[in-house]
Amino acid sequence: MGKIVVDVNKCLGCGACVKVCTLGAIRVEADPAAKNKLGKIAKIDTGLCSLCSTCISGCKFGAISMDFGEGPALTDYHGVFVFCEMTDGEFAPVAYELLGKGRELADQLQTKLSAVFVYAGDGAAAEKMGRKLISYGADRAVVIPCEKKAENLEENYADAICELVNAEKPEILLFGATMFGRSLAPRVAAGLRTGLTADCTVLAIDEETGLLQQTRPAFGGNLMATIVCPRHRPQMATVRPGIMKALAPDASRKGEVVTAATGAKAISGLELLEVVKAEKTESIKDAKIIIDCGRGVGSKKNLKLVKELCEKLGTAYGCSRPLVDTGLCEYPHQVGQTGCTVAPDLLICLGVSGAIQHLAGITNAKKIIAVNNDPDAPIFAAAHYKVVADCMDVVKEMLAQL
Amino acid sequence: MTDKLIHQLTEDYAEYLKDESRSVGEAESISFPVSEEEVRAIVKEEYAAGHRITVQGARTGLAAAAVPHGGHVLNLMKMNRVTALRKGEDGLFYITVEPGAILSQVKKAIESRKFNQTGWSEESKKAFIEFSAAPEQLLTPDPTESSATIGGMVSCNASGARSYLYGPTRGRVNALRVVLCDGDVLALKRGEVFAKGRDLTLTTEGGKTINVKLPTYQLPKTKNASGYYIADDMDAVDLFIGSDGTLGVITSIELTLLPMPATIWGVTCFFAEESQAIRFVQKVREEIKNLSSLEYFDGRALNLLRKQKAESTAFAQLPFIDPAYGCAVYTEVHCDNEEQATAGLFAIGDAMKACGGSEDNTWVARNASERDILYFFRHATPESVNMTIDKRKKIDPVITKLGSDMSVPDKYLADVVAMYEKDLAAGGFDYVKFGHIGNNHLHVNILPRNGEEYRNGKELFKKWAAEVTKMGGAVSAEHGVGKLKADFLMVMYGPDHIREMAELKAAFDPKGLFGTGNLFTPITR
Amino acid sequence: MKFIVCIKQVPSTNEVRLDPVTHAIIRDGRQSVINPFDLYAVELGAQLRDRMGGTLTALSMGIPATERLLRECISRGADDAVLMTDRAFAGSDTLATSYAISLGVNAVGGADLILCGKMAVDGDTAQIGPELARTLGIHHVTDVAEVMDITEKDITVRKVTETGSFVEKVAFPAVITVVKDIVMPRLPSISGVRKSLDAPFKTFSAAEANADTARTGFNGSPTSVVKTFTPEGRTEAAPVEGTPADQAAFLLKAVKEVR
Repeated sequence: MGKIVVDVNKCLGCGACVKVCTLGAIRVEADPAAKNKLGKIAKIDTGLCSLCSTCISGCKFGAISMDFGEGPALTDYHGVFVFCEMTDGEFAPVAYELLGKGRELADQLQTKLSAVFVYAGDGAAAEKMGRKLISYGADRAVVIPCEKKAENLEENYADAICELVNAEKPEILLFGATMFGRSLAPRVAAGLRTGLTADCTVLAIDEETGLLQQTRPAFGGNLMATIVCPRHRPQMATVRPGIMKALAPDASRKGEVVTAATGAKAISGLELLEVVKAEKTESIKDAKIIIDCGRGVGSKKNLKLVKELCEKLGTAYGCSRPLVDTGLCEYPHQVGQTGCTVAPDLLICLGVSGAIQHLAGITNAKKIIAVNNDPDAPIFAAAHYKVVADCMDVVKEMLAQL
Repeated sequence: MTDKLIHQLTEDYAEYLKDESRSVGEAESISFPVSEEEVRAIVKEEYAAGHRITVQGARTGLAAAAVPHGGHVLNLMKMNRVTALRKGEDGLFYITVEPGAILSQVKKAIESRKFNQTGWSEESKKAFIEFSAAPEQLLTPDPTESSATIGGMVSCNASGARSYLYGPTRGRVNALRVVLCDGDVLALKRGEVFAKGRDLTLTTEGGKTINVKLPTYQLPKTKNASGYYIADDMDAVDLFIGSDGTLGVITSIELTLLPMPATIWGVTCFFAEESQAIRFVQKVREEIKNLSSLEYFDGRALNLLRKQKAESTAFAQLPFIDPAYGCAVYTEVHCDNEEQATAGLFAIGDAMKACGGSEDNTWVARNASERDILYFFRHATPESVNMTIDKRKKIDPVITKLGSDMSVPDKYLADVVAMYEKDLAAGGFDYVKFGHIGNNHLHVNILPRNGEEYRNGKELFKKWAAEVTKMGGAVSAEHGVGKLKADFLMVMYGPDHIREMAELKAAFDPKGLFGTGNLFTPITR
Repeated sequence: MKFIVCIKQVPSTNEVRLDPVTHAIIRDGRQSVINPFDLYAVELGAQLRDRMGGTLTALSMGIPATERLLRECISRGADDAVLMTDRAFAGSDTLATSYAISLGVNAVGGADLILCGKMAVDGDTAQIGPELARTLGIHHVTDVAEVMDITEKDITVRKVTETGSFVEKVAFPAVITVVKDIVMPRLPSISGVRKSLDAPFKTFSAAEANADTARTGFNGSPTSVVKTFTPEGRTEAAPVEGTPADQAAFLLKAVKEVR
């Protein structure tokens, strides 16, 4: 059983922790053991404390910490395992990113990095795929053979991965935080009864304890939390794609490809009936990249150039209301309060001034680059990147460079 | 200084010639001042040169007050900061904003307690620390268009659904700074300067004295935003609230905040018949005390929303409206706790049953995100009207929205609705009725299908202005008079009182250049 | 048929506010709400119950005040509600939460189909559904966007994936997690609110649910939060300087990075 403890040598008796505790579990009381001017120490009421840890980050002097107590011996666990997800017979990009990070963690822990993948192909093909993972940084690749009809169903994979982990006892096991990974990893974690941290953006090894520090956004990105898994193994995390850096492949890297004793079998009661590839949607609602035109684009002729650019880049195009009002654009492309609310990974705003009604439709865009010749245009307050230029000059340049 | 601030009104600035009323004006120049100092310099120069000055905010107004009639456009959108915060001796918080501050952004800042404190005084920063620890605060005015600017809201004394309980913007304005035609400034604080009967004397910061003879008319005893606010021994601040940009330029506004009620629940009640809804409104108005709003949607408004939901992506998130529903009343209880709110909700349900409705036909919202769905439903009504009008305008450019904004005393609610229905049916119009039924203040929106219907609709509104005046009502209850309703104001007050208003204006604006066309019918066209 | 919908109590806003003096996170007494994603699960559960007959039970683990939100589920279409509440459940991570929820499922005699929202807006983990399924030893499907068919024995669903969607048929008992907009959640009616105040509501403590206390609350939680902090505030837009050619190159690079 863990508890929150206060270090009498560091506590200044200031009471900052009292204010942050929502349960009223902390009081500051006079205590002869105090080493501060006030002669007071923070006391934790263990009956009220929910171990939420808010006070730990609320203390600026590092006086509060979590005492995890004695855990079972964890020294049997060694090595870093990375699950390498495949789609359509190829590894997902996040697999290589995980290997890059896994390499760094394994080096720091002076242990081995194993790449695990589930594969329905024959031995020779598996060997070739495994080699590829080694070239991206793994010391060894473990292939879990898979029945054809068991493919793409995470439940079928989960049991096999649990068996492998129980046999090989890795200390760290990472998955990509893809939709598949975020379904598979928790099923594995519950099977192993170990901890799992979702959608991490930072992974590091704590130098003192050797624990994997897993940092992730919560509250819709408004809060970051660092999480550890001190008493259970493996320490598991899903890792957000696109964050970690993959290594450049090096075909000369050495390593063995082994086949796991276990295999992924089709569990009864679960059937994949159909795989539907997303059609290229016309709707800007789901578009990944949108080029968003405002009044600054100006004319029908200019709009034609923008549309040409969109076509060449394979992006959707959106527009602000004035362009629909004046008949330059069609309503389904209108972004904003009376149009469509969009959430692309990248939004490029061309000559959009940034009326509040328009901004209401783009708040969910992950990255916004705004191009406008008015350096004071309100759109820049919402943007991540500010390009002060005539938007059509930039469009013409982009077309020229393609 | 001014040559850098004042731009020629070229094609690039065309959007500043129109507003949400869909009227288009004309102007020679435009400026976007960032400070009161810049406003003073611009006003002084433009006024001296004899140019008309039209003050603009977000141009969300429905009466064309921000549409220029020649001269200079003074756009205040860049004066959008919250400049001060203080806690009064009365325990209330007061927030000072520039006129271009957008309502939704100010509300968001108050709610999330995040302000850009650049340039704040130490007192304001200290008050912010208290503000952070205090219970949540409420800025009561809630016009349906939340992208309005505070300056615009003060200039037309805007209301909103909750004005039924909290009153219009006027009651929340505690202080104003107004730049006058010669660049001098009036700093007015509520409770400091009062008229003596109908004589008002003001002293500017420059030390000048202005003597004003106030008009002699009596204000209607209904919700009202028609013409200058006038009363015996009135507070000087009130003269500028609702003055439609005709006396000077408001550059700073101090607003009173109220503590947020602990529990706010909303409910949309559907009825089969309009008569049931009217009886329901009359009943709950008498019986239930903590209602903050009573908003109506007639059957045609519901039909328009059903159509919008089916056709437009922006409205796909509207809740499904059962085809059996004939009309709706939205109401909201503001309470100290959930027990009170539950009692209020059940009292509303009982009233529905007594008026022939069923509690099954309701949408209850007990938290902010559920309320947002019902607000979205409310806001979608005028938005849908506007989108319909925009489509029709492409067929005949003469068509614009025809929206009424008239209120009458309580006892005439059923009569005024009957009058609307009879006249609209006789004219064969396409229309919707919605709005603030608690204040007997419905917006009748005529959606003309051709130029002839547009002209007939305008004539009909003029007739209503006279009828509503006879009932003791107001020709504009919240949108302000602006340019579109100036002729109704003539109907409401008559030429003698309008002349008195013109004399009042002349005391501040001898050349008649501020907000030309607002309140007064244009002499030249 | 028996349906269970799992809900979580979350703060009504996920904005994080800092005390201007101490810079500590303020958890003000804002009203708690049902996790927005769970509302879709409640509505879908109600629709499936209407279609197949049977009952829909709302289930949560939380403080006693969660009763208010469980009753809200009833006003939105559930038949009854169960709350797992005990100090022994405090400090649960996703594994311990899944365990507590699994006890609740067993306490009401199991279910054919258990519905969850895709994730909670405060934790953003999306782990409870799969962990609950594994803890109960039953099937699960995440990210369900459409129910294509349901029988007494199984359900056929379309789940969204990065590249499109999968159509999967899964036998009961099973857990599904649903995405936003799979159905449109209804707003409660006044009569629904009246009904919810009198509807059956049960609580279970850890002991009443025969919990293994080594698996509940802090004891049963392998992970712990050691630090929380707010990410660096949104800074002003970074200027992209240079000629239009440089700027165009920057834009093209940004497009390439995302694609």
